[in-house]
Order: sequence, then C-alpha cells, then structure tokens
Amino acid sequence: MKRVLFATLLGGSALAALPALAQEAACDGEPVTLRILRTPGNYPYPAPMEAWQKEHPCVSFEINEVPFAQLGDTISVQAASDDPPDILVYDGPNTQSYAKAGILLPVTKYLPEGWDEDILPATKAEHSYEGEVYSPGIEQTTVAMYYNKALTDAAGIEPPQTLDEAWTWPEALEAFKACQQGEPGAPEVWGLGPTRFGNGQPGLVYQDLIYQRSAGDPDADPDSSAYKTFWAMAPDGSTVEGYLDTPEAIEALTFYRSLFNEEGVAPKAGIPNAFFDGKACFYIDTPAAGNALLKDPVIDWGITPVPYFKTPVVHTGSTTIGVTARSKHPEIAAQFAVDMEWGEYAYMNVSQRGNLPTLKSLFPRFPAYQDYPMKVFTDQLEQWGQPRPPSPYFAQYDRIVTDAIRSVAFGGDPEEAMADAEREVARAMRR
Amino acid sequence: MTAIDAQGTVAAARARRTPRQKRDARVAYAFLAPFLFLLLLFQYVPLAMMAKNAFMDYSLLNPDAAKFVGLLNFSDMLYFDDARESLAATFLFALGVVAIVIPLGFVLALFLDSKLPARGIVRTIIMLPVVTSAVVVATMWNFLLDPSNGLINGVVTAMGLPRQPFLTSPDQALVMIAVMTAWQQVGFAAILFLGGLQGVPKELAEAARIDGATARQVLWNITIPLLSRTTLFVVVIMTVFSLQAFAPAFLMTDGGPQDSTNLIVYHIYKTAFVMQNAGYASALSVLLLVIVLGISLLQMWLLRARWNY
Repeated sequence: MKRVLFATLLGGSALAALPALAQEAACDGEPVTLRILRTPGNYPYPAPMEAWQKEHPCVSFEINEVPFAQLGDTISVQAASDDPPDILVYDGPNTQSYAKAGILLPVTKYLPEGWDEDILPATKAEHSYEGEVYSPGIEQTTVAMYYNKALTDAAGIEPPQTLDEAWTWPEALEAFKACQQGEPGAPEVWGLGPTRFGNGQPGLVYQDLIYQRSAGDPDADPDSSAYKTFWAMAPDGSTVEGYLDTPEAIEALTFYRSLFNEEGVAPKAGIPNAFFDGKACFYIDTPAAGNALLKDPVIDWGITPVPYFKTPVVHTGSTTIGVTARSKHPEIAAQFAVDMEWGEYAYMNVSQRGNLPTLKSLFPRFPAYQDYPMKVFTDQLEQWGQPRPPSPYFAQYDRIVTDAIRSVAFGGDPEEAMADAEREVARAMRR
Repeated sequence: MTAIDAQGTVAAARARRTPRQKRDARVAYAFLAPFLFLLLLFQYVPLAMMAKNAFMDYSLLNPDAAKFVGLLNFSDMLYFDDARESLAATFLFALGVVAIVIPLGFVLALFLDSKLPARGIVRTIIMLPVVTSAVVVATMWNFLLDPSNGLINGVVTAMGLPRQPFLTSPDQALVMIAVMTAWQQVGFAAILFLGGLQGVPKELAEAARIDGATARQVLWNITIPLLSRTTLFVVVIMTVFSLQAFAPAFLMTDGGPQDSTNLIVYHIYKTAFVMQNAGYASALSVLLLVIVLGISLLQMWLLRARWNY
C-alpha cells in the first residue's frame, strides 16, 4: 500500500512539473513575468495569451483583478507605486488623463502597418494624446434601445429598425407613454427601463449626455451654441465654458427631466433586470444585453436606434489594454499589448466577450452584427459614433457632469446644474 | 506644597529607583516599543504626511509632480462652496443622528433596565443593526426607500398619501440617511445608557420614593441629572461618529442629489480619488482633524469630574 502511495505521489509530482520543464526548455533567453491589472472576466483571455506565449516562451504572466468600480482607484494607487503593473486594462476614455500623468507608455512605434486605416476613428481619437497613440483599442461598445416586442405589439408600436428611420426623442416619448402600463411614476411596466450601469440611477455621461449632444450640430459655426452643444467640451479639450449650458442643451435637458418627473415614464432608481423580467418596454444598453438575449431569449425582443433631437449621436468606448510607462519590461509589454489588440489575437479576445471590435477588418467575422437586430450597433458605431469628450480631465468631467445630469433627472434646474458643472470642470482644469 | 517642591520630590524618587525598578522599566519599554513603533508608523507619520500634502498641489496619478502651493488649498475652501456645503451637510447629518439617537437610546435603556418581559429579545433586536455591516444596512434601506417599489412608499400610498422621493429629493435625502444611521446606532447608545443607569445608586431613588416622589419625579430629578455625563459621552461619541460617516453617502446617494448628502469624509475620498486633487483632499482632512480634535477637547473639559456617586 505504501509503495502504491509513494508511486502515485512521485508520478503526480513529475506530471505537475512537466509544463514548467517544457517552458524552461523552450525559453533560451531571460525569463520575463508581465504583471497585468484587469477587471474580472475581462481580456486578455487565456486562449490568446497561451497562443502568444508559444511565440514568446520566456514570458509568463501574473494577473491581478479588481472589480470595475474599484479599477480607477486601484490604478491611481498602483500606477504611482515603485513597482507598477506592466499591463493595465483600463477604461478607454481615461487614456488622456493617464497619458498626461505619465502613467501610460506611448505605443505608436509598435503599431502594425495598416492600423491607421483599419481602426475606428472614434477609437483612435479616444486613445491618442498629443500625437501619440497610447492604446490600439480592442473592442468598442455603444448603446442602442432594446424593446420588448410583446409589449410594443400590444401597444400597437412599431419601432424603427434602421438608422434613417430613427425616432426623435419626442416620438420616442409618445411610444414610452403608449406602452407604459400603470400610474406614471410608479407603473407596473415602465416606458423606459433604468440603466444597468452603476447603481441604476440615471445621469451617466456614457448613456445620458447624448440627449443634449444630439440637440447640437457639429457642422454649425464653431462659435455657435449648436456647435458647442454637440461637442459638450472644446474639441481640443481646453475648456467647457459655454459648452454645457447652451440654450439647446437646456432645452434637451428639460425634456430629459420630464421623462423622470412630469411624464413619469422612466424610474429614478435602479430595478434589477427590469427589461428582462418584462417590467420595461424600452431599455438602453450595450451589445452585452443582445448577446445575452441571443443565447437565452427570455423575451421576444428587438433593437431600435437611439433617438435624437437634431443630430444622431452615440458614445463609443470600452476598456482597453495599455502599458505602464514605468514597466520594467516596456518593449515586451508593449509588444504584448499591441499583439493582443491586432489581427487574430484581437479576434480571439473580442469574440469571447461578444462586443464589437475596433478594427473594421474584423467586422465581417462577427456574423451576429451583420443582420438586424445587432446590425443597429455596427451602423451606429460607424455612422453616429463619437468618443466621450476626450480630455486629460475626462475622469473629473465624467463625475461632475454625471452628477449634474443626475440632479436634473431628480428634478433639478438644468440651467443651474449645467452652470455649476461648467464651474467645477473649469476648477479641475485649472490644475 | 509648591510646584517646585513637587518637581524636586519626583526627581528624588527617580534618583532613588532600585536596580529592579530600572530593569522593570526597561522590560516595560521593550514590550511597548513594537506597538509604539506601529503607532508612530501608521498613525503619526501618515498624519504628518497629510499635513505636509495639504500645502501641495498634486494628483495620485503623478505624485512626483507635486508642487508647493502654500495656503492655496485652504484659501480654496473659502473661495469655493464645496467645503462649506459639505461641512454644513455633515453637521446637519450629525445633528439629525444625535437628535434621534439620544432620546430613543435612553428610552430603550430604561426599558432594558426594567423588569418588563422580553428584555432579552429586545436587547438582541436593537443590537443586531449595530453589528450588521454598513453595506448590508445601506442596501436594505435602499430597497425600503425605493421611490417606486419600496416598502415604505407602499405604506405611504396605502395611507392615501403621495409617493415620496426619499433618496432623490435634496430636501429628504439627508434626513433619510440620518434616520438610517440613527436606526443602526441606537442600540449602541442604549447599551451605553444602560451602563450609566446601572451605575446610578439605587438608594437615591429608594429614598426619594420613601419621601413620596413619583416614578416620573425620580426619573426627572434624579436619574436624568445623574446620567448627564453618560449623555454627554453618547452625544460626543455619536457626533464624532457622524462626522466620520462615509458609507451612507458612498452606498446610497453618491453624495447627491445636488450634493445634499455629500458628507465630508466622502467628499475627501471623492476629491482625492475621483477628482485627483489629493492636496486639497489633505487640506480638507486637516480641517476635519481640527474639528474632531476640538470636539474631543470639549468632551474632556465637559466630562471633567465635578461630582461622584
């Protein structure tokens, strides 16, 4: 019995040691460990990493994960430490903040030939700062408006399915009211369901700044309020003065406020799974919701483009992979980051998560996005997509403007809220 | 004895210390040293760094680029509204918590000190929120106060009243988080009051009753005056606790709506980590430290011994 036990332990130890031996045998240089900070369930995924390791046998990985809500705080603390991670998976709109602070390494010189032509313009704008690219970008998300087909059919509503037929917000409001079931403000079925982001409360820049931006016009005179309304920050990121409290923005926000108050078609607090449980007719979300419904169609559903006032617009952006400027292995870390976001490795990463790629050449390889309903996302990204206002002060802008829009949703005065927001952003920019 | 005489006596006693006393002192210092070192390292060094940072302008993303700005962070507190508004919200919050906790905690303590039935169950019930995680409590109250589907709004509408925007109205949100915090802390206050009540000599109340005093007169003229130090202690503890509250603002309201629940500790966190203005956050922390220190000194002065029983 003892011999059997001894033989089993010996055999087990030998088997366990095999991969390490194989790796050591293949590596003929200096072993390198790249430390990655990412959010749980996020890329880079094991399959592309293992495939990449076969080409770079001396590289191993050490992965640390933090929830998305703590990602910004963790990067703030770790990036300034003496021994920061080599690779950061961070929220793309923060690129310029991190670049300005010297946290990120520019990767322009590592980009493969053809990247400039293949990348979505919104991604390039978001991930660049002072002429340098800091992350190639791996995937794009945007929002569209889902609808519960059983509820809309019952209300006699036929939401548009293509961009050229998209509703304006007043048209959408009529649909919300017609479909909602119950007392405004506390119905059994809401016209427009709550967001799943954050704590479920309205106001997020990603989802709700598009109301006022869509009331602007990017082709108007750069000194006009219509132009400023659309950009919501000077295009060079230098100021917000006169960009948030324009007459067009205030009118759009007054309409936005009515959704949560006078009209009572949208809730002020989160309701977990409201749309999937049939408690909301319409619901704004990323492709993640569509992918979940394609796998498990708990309701009969469709997608309609995001409504607008004057100029259709949707925000782009997602998490992305960057390299820390103080990485002890900048060359190999930059190579890894760029490789993970290009070609086959990019496909492997993006296909596992289910969002859209940032490379146009990869679009045909995502058949779900070639046809309705998911095609709405592809079309919106290509035709309406805009990054959230790129700026080294985006993190501050995001928080201040979110608070301002939320206060409007809760019944506050749009003019006062946006004027305060402009002052606060200007204060942050002063530094 | 004059002060000079007293000092001379102490010095003489020190000089007369036996070898054994000296050895004991060395051993005592050896035992204390690790803790004093940790105290120094994790309490006083960070405090000193915070005080230094209050005069700097820097972000956590790039602390190497910190630059000395003198009193700018402190003058910003006067120039901009945020510090004033946040402190006002925090003091109002503290006032609300104390105003609810003190009478309620006292009544509960009287009940627990009596011979009425079910005291054990009541004691457990009022202590449960105290030992429950702030995250659990905040989540539960979020559901209770939900404007559309919350239990409390269900009761409000059943009574024929309009739904209340408890956490989304600038007029109600601060009140609601004060109520929630008071609900969680009232058990702690009750236990402190109970300790005070059990320390009041029974003979005083018995003598008063023999002289014909009613139960209410005993409570008003004997129990409450003798509990004044306990009451003061509870007031100070609850005030300091409220000044340091973070979880309700972080978990329930994000400091909103319209900054109405932007409690000072949450504001400091947001300033440092979200707004990346760590110098200003340090200056706010120094201000909070001075305020809490002031309250503690006031406590020591008010709690100084004037009578004993």
